[in-house]
Amino acid sequence: MFLNLSAATLGIALMIAVPGLAHAESVPEDAPPPAPYAKVSELVPLPDFLPGLGTLFVDPATLPAGPFLGYDRDGKLAATIFMTPIEDLQGGTSYNDLAVGSNEVSSVDIYYNAGHPGVDKPHAHFVLFHGADAKSRVAE
Amino acid sequence: MPNRRQVLAVGGAGVAALVGPSLVLAGTVAEIGMQGTSRGEHVWFTPVGLAVAAGTTLRFVNLDPGNSHTSTCYHPSLFDRPQRIPTGAAPWDSDFLLPGDSFEVLLTVPGVYDFYCLPHEHAGMVGRIVVGRPGDEGWHGAATEASDLPAVALDGFPSVEAILQTGRVMPPGRP
Repeated sequence: MFLNLSAATLGIALMIAVPGLAHAESVPEDAPPPAPYAKVSELVPLPDFLPGLGTLFVDPATLPAGPFLGYDRDGKLAATIFMTPIEDLQGGTSYNDLAVGSNEVSSVDIYYNAGHPGVDKPHAHFVLFHGADAKSRVAE
Repeated sequence: MPNRRQVLAVGGAGVAALVGPSLVLAGTVAEIGMQGTSRGEHVWFTPVGLAVAAGTTLRFVNLDPGNSHTSTCYHPSLFDRPQRIPTGAAPWDSDFLLPGDSFEVLLTVPGVYDFYCLPHEHAGMVGRIVVGRPGDEGWHGAATEASDLPAVALDGFPSVEAILQTGRVMPPGRP
């Protein structure tokens, strides 16, 4: 199920399940997710599978932040990723009430990315892994 | 994944010349890799500076498994950027290269060629090729105007002297 999380509550929400925030939409565990999600590699010139993130799908209307849904090579949902341009954050832009692909978040990685087609500006990746083995499933 | 190979002849008549012990010889192919860290924190061309003889083919290869890159020279005809290649040389743009893809360009006009990666200029992913040496007929030196280039890009160009002295300059901190 989709969850809506405010940025302020994200840290707490990542540690506990919050079924009360369930969204009416749902994200299937198996790829591909339904429209308006589209495969990122069909929207911009990027590889189908990105090591560390998986095969990404996004609703183009939510760019640049996402959520991007990352599926492993077997087509199983492994991660939800947000991409937030540093310049925009510095300018006061905030990204609130972002949805996530699953209410099971086992760990989160946050790191800098210099940019890529689709999100050209230097930005931060917030990677929410769904399951203890999710990270290894999209590692390569 | 099939490689995309394109060849573009840049410039008119060129003179093949051996001008230094580490210079890539005319008629040969020199390779410039496009690389990045696994999470994309850093991206770069390697080498970032290269000296070649006129008539050398440059092959740009995307060695980055998690990103796409371009080799795009600075020229008004390409995204309205300032000219930083010799007068008379034809501009090139590889378009996006996926991992494993490559692009070739033949350089024949002596001078300094500055190029960048379209989505990564603001991350400092730029490079410089020196064709021939100062004094060669038709030589066009390095651009001196900053124009619209971001500071991180301007800081990324090795000096012509450093390139000519060693033949190739690797990006800082990279082997």
